[in-house]
Amino acid sequence: MRGTPMTNTWRAGLQRGGIELRHLLRNGKEMSGHLTNVVVVLVVVAYVGDDVPGTRTPMAHLMIAGFAAYLLFQVGLINLPQILVTEREEGTLLRLRATPGGIPAYLVAKCLLVVAMAFGTLALLLAAAALLVDGPLPHGPGGWLTLLWVTTLGLLAVVPLGAAVGAVLPNPREALALIMLPVMGLLFISGTVFPFTSLPVPVQQVAAVFPLKWMAQGLRSALLPDAARTAEAAGAWELPLVALVLTAWAVLGFLLAVPLLRRSARRESGSRLAARHRKAEQSGALPG
Amino acid sequence: MTPRDTLPVVRARDVTMTYGDIDVLHGVDLDIHHGEVFALLGPNGAGKTTTVEILEGFRRRSAGEVSVLGTDPERGDDAWRGRIGLVLQSWRDHRRWQVGELLTHFATYYVDPRDPAGLLDLVGLTDQAAQRVDRLSGGQRRRLDVALGIVGRPELLFLDEPTTGFDPEARHDFHVLVERLARDEGVTVLLTTHDLVEAERLADRIAMLVGGRIRACGTPAELARRAAARAEVRWTADDGTPRRERTEDPSRLVWELHRLADSPIPDLEVRRPTLEDTYLHMVNQEAAGADGAAHEEVPAA
Repeated sequence: MRGTPMTNTWRAGLQRGGIELRHLLRNGKEMSGHLTNVVVVLVVVAYVGDDVPGTRTPMAHLMIAGFAAYLLFQVGLINLPQILVTEREEGTLLRLRATPGGIPAYLVAKCLLVVAMAFGTLALLLAAAALLVDGPLPHGPGGWLTLLWVTTLGLLAVVPLGAAVGAVLPNPREALALIMLPVMGLLFISGTVFPFTSLPVPVQQVAAVFPLKWMAQGLRSALLPDAARTAEAAGAWELPLVALVLTAWAVLGFLLAVPLLRRSARRESGSRLAARHRKAEQSGALPG
Repeated sequence: MTPRDTLPVVRARDVTMTYGDIDVLHGVDLDIHHGEVFALLGPNGAGKTTTVEILEGFRRRSAGEVSVLGTDPERGDDAWRGRIGLVLQSWRDHRRWQVGELLTHFATYYVDPRDPAGLLDLVGLTDQAAQRVDRLSGGQRRRLDVALGIVGRPELLFLDEPTTGFDPEARHDFHVLVERLARDEGVTVLLTTHDLVEAERLADRIAMLVGGRIRACGTPAELARRAAARAEVRWTADDGTPRRERTEDPSRLVWELHRLADSPIPDLEVRRPTLEDTYLHMVNQEAAGADGAAHEEVPAA
């Protein structure tokens, strides 16, 4: 006899996550996609020479903090839904549904993969920026702690939401088109690439509903000197509000994701998968 | 005898399935016994997939009773799942994984899995162990699916049109594999196919599902006997018109014809229908019935 079902699920899930991570690291196309993001950020900030208006903080630092938030946002709301939709369409979800303990192990593996992708991208961006373009790093243990909790809470806010999106979107190609536009829109209105206060007030109000603005603000508080807070909309970092909004999104995300993922897994069957493959082949969305 | 040997592995009673206004299954009864290879045969759209997915626990039936390995599939838990193996047609998952890596990973989900290396040997993929799944040929991919289906030593294995797209040699190898599983390891196999030859070759018993009903069920020999029972006698009558008559005793009919004619009978022919004739006849009858119903509906529409 082997371990109990519970420990078996964890072991299978962690093994699965490890293998998927190794496949990701070896996949040239996907890795270059992630690396390109970082390179583009570095190139853009290298050309920005100004300071954040009203402060002596380089604009480049504000943008690095903003892009760091955006890359976390992207892991949760673009990479994760794409992985979920692709794996559902290929039949991975169905095979795990037909396997004892398969679905819990799948969720464990996906969490591991997303956390590794998020922290890996963040570490790469901050390290490369610090070395190559004199980018910011947290000041003291307090700054590192803020970086850690904002990143963790930010992921908790966007990952369940991304899982819910992945559970309802139809096929990989349409999925990308449907989520790319709003996510890119939020990139420009959330104070990640321009100071938030330079945006019109109605736009600020819209952006303040979504988590990206708060993730970026939280990361700025971790990465920029305290004096830079004068450039914030409220003249302060508002960390309690950052925590509150991100927690609210995390709760909403979980409330949506659990039933939607359960429904998505329950609906899988051989004939439904075959029907979608036929459709996908006709439209050329999935390689045979 | 333990109860497992006496109770059928699969037992379905009066199972119906309705989607909206459309009845897909009209009361299906099935008994599949331990160690049996059972083929569910039928044309596309006959309800094969629906029936199998109800048994697999992937679909809720509208009515009827179902027990698979002693459990209602709608309430099957992980322990129950672990006793069932599935080989579906349309799996393209885990493309990036290596063959051996994938099999080893799936072994970790089961209490008493097969040895992955031995399993690769059994399905003839030892040389492909280090290959990526998306580089396998169609036949190799399906054999990998079979390996994944049996890695947990299932008592019941579902095979969904397993040899579609196989060349004759791959088909033969696959048949040998299924026979070995059933004979040497006592695995109960439910095979769905629309290939009568495959069903006759592999199955201990065949059920023909046409138009949402089991129209015939028995060993291939029984079905063939039943099919052949009503032979057709053809001849040309005195006035030159061709005649044909169906009879359960063709020998008597021919003898009576000769007595009446008192001479050789022109164009005399006795034909015993094969299992295939019967199957095609059933399918065509059903299709004609469906067309007839459609025609009746035309004026109303």
